[in-house]
Amino acid sequence: MPRQAAVRPAGKPSWLRRLAVYLRKYWFIYMLVLPGLICMIVFNYGTMYGIQLAFKDYSPRLGVWGSPWVGLEHFREMLADPSFIRAFKNTVLINVYKLAFGFTFNILLALLVNEMKMRRVKSMVQTCVYLPYFLSWVIFAGLVQVFLEYPSAADMGGVVNQVIAGLGFEPIDFLKEPAMFRSILTITNIIKTAGYSAIVYFAAIAGIDPTLYESAAIDGANRKDMMLHITLPRILPSVAVMLILELSGLFISNFDQVYNLYSNYVLSTGDVLSTYIYRIGLGGGTDFELSTAVNLVLNVMGLVIVLVANKFIEKLDVQGIF
Amino acid sequence: MKNSGQVKYRRSMLSRFGFNFYDIFVYAFCILFALVCVYPMWYVFVASITPYDEYIKGGLMLWPRGVDFQYYISIFNTRSFLNSLWISVSKTVLATVLSVLVTSTMAYAVSKSHVRGMKVINALVVFNLFFTGGLIPQYILYQDLHLLRSYWVMVIPGALNITYFIIMRNYFTYSVPKDLEEAARLDGCTDVGVFFKIVLPVSRPMVAAVTLFIAVINWNDYYNYMMFISNKTNLQPFAWILRRMLTDKSLMNTVRNGAVGLGLELPPPMALRMATIICAMLPIMCVYPFLQKHFTSGITLGAVKE
Repeated sequence: MPRQAAVRPAGKPSWLRRLAVYLRKYWFIYMLVLPGLICMIVFNYGTMYGIQLAFKDYSPRLGVWGSPWVGLEHFREMLADPSFIRAFKNTVLINVYKLAFGFTFNILLALLVNEMKMRRVKSMVQTCVYLPYFLSWVIFAGLVQVFLEYPSAADMGGVVNQVIAGLGFEPIDFLKEPAMFRSILTITNIIKTAGYSAIVYFAAIAGIDPTLYESAAIDGANRKDMMLHITLPRILPSVAVMLILELSGLFISNFDQVYNLYSNYVLSTGDVLSTYIYRIGLGGGTDFELSTAVNLVLNVMGLVIVLVANKFIEKLDVQGIF
Repeated sequence: MKNSGQVKYRRSMLSRFGFNFYDIFVYAFCILFALVCVYPMWYVFVASITPYDEYIKGGLMLWPRGVDFQYYISIFNTRSFLNSLWISVSKTVLATVLSVLVTSTMAYAVSKSHVRGMKVINALVVFNLFFTGGLIPQYILYQDLHLLRSYWVMVIPGALNITYFIIMRNYFTYSVPKDLEEAARLDGCTDVGVFFKIVLPVSRPMVAAVTLFIAVINWNDYYNYMMFISNKTNLQPFAWILRRMLTDKSLMNTVRNGAVGLGLELPPPMALRMATIICAMLPIMCVYPFLQKHFTSGITLGAVKE
């Protein structure tokens, strides 16, 4: 009886053999996937074992595996940390600002650029507004400094402050003013990404049936009416998708942007979760466990939100994220 | 005659008035925003080549009042600048080539979703977009792999770029004509033949565009240096030098003193920063026409399903 497995009817090869045949058939595809697969396993999934630090008391001597478990202590610590609460609040607030002003601005920009009928001007404008997207936040922070810098003994200060001084007012140290920091983040974000974000809407506008505009013109609609009653409703699905994507990033903060613009002066309004995770972990602090714990909480929250968001997007009958 | 002409003229003025007002608003808004986007860069460029005497007068620098490269001479007279340029260029080339090879081959393989395992692999890759170990687990992993404080930490870990993986996968799935592949197969082409003779030539423009995008990301990257190398100044990329010029007074003083040593006027810190900004921007500006050309199609590719 136990040997029966080896005795098979002819024409039904063992699974191992079938696997060999299958692999031989598709060997090239498997070979192509291999380098990426190795990279993914080593560098993306390889980090996963470090997540256990969130539940451990790390000692470099014992290593990640050898360190003792402490349960949920670091999560309690996190909730008790006022700077975590502050970073959380700032992150959400900044994202709400970006949603309220940035998101609407992107739509407005797309609609208005589309209204320009002079092709030359239109493509010039597009060339200009896409450009900032490719510059890094370091470069952008440099530009911000050039314009907003406070005058010092060695230098005459940024352009904006020169203008303010020229008008006879006191110069303002914009980047050290906590009350202004979130606005600076919102505005710089708009300048850097509005052109890029508008592309999705340009694509949606390009897909609108031109006969709609022709028949509207026959009915005597002017261009403003067409924009409000044809273009805008037609791009609403894209708007909805972008809105859901935006909302799903409610707890995600832009490390690059904030890190390059903030300083100790504006921590109260400018410190966000990603900079917080960095500061307590590597940038000054050495609290590896707390940093890992906060990151884990954010990731789990983010994942849940994205899954829910994807359900909504599927309902909208547009291709989902996956 | 004269009268009717005037009436016609007046009517068109009236009927155009609403139009014109609308047009003026549209053009003013768009052009103004376009200027907001590019004027800072223009200002920085003009100011950085303005001679010292003119520079200290300030103003909006709409046009260069003379040309003087003294600030550029000052920064490139500092050793760490040339070294960091070399580091940036070399790591950008290496990381980009590696990343494009790994990402594109994997994307092509995964686009063959009828092959067993590819759907799972796809799900595993996309999952990483939303769930990662985070900074500290990454740090510990690199420590275990002996990548910490090594040049290669700026090259190897980013080999698989998930965003461009998705874009390329969708391209291979939806935009490479299936009939072409089928026809080649009927003619006796193997998978290898199809890949090299059909898929690669057809998707060359897309791969070229992705290469440029990834190169820009690598040129701009300072994160890996800052997090995982941090104190080895001989490995710092140019983006990090720029970051230090903006925040680090000691580097600034070194550059300024160096300029005085060259017999130049003691340069204002902001002028040196502007020269550094221009150097960091220059490679991006050089490839920007190509970037823009592929930009519109590139990012919407991911969303278009046929």
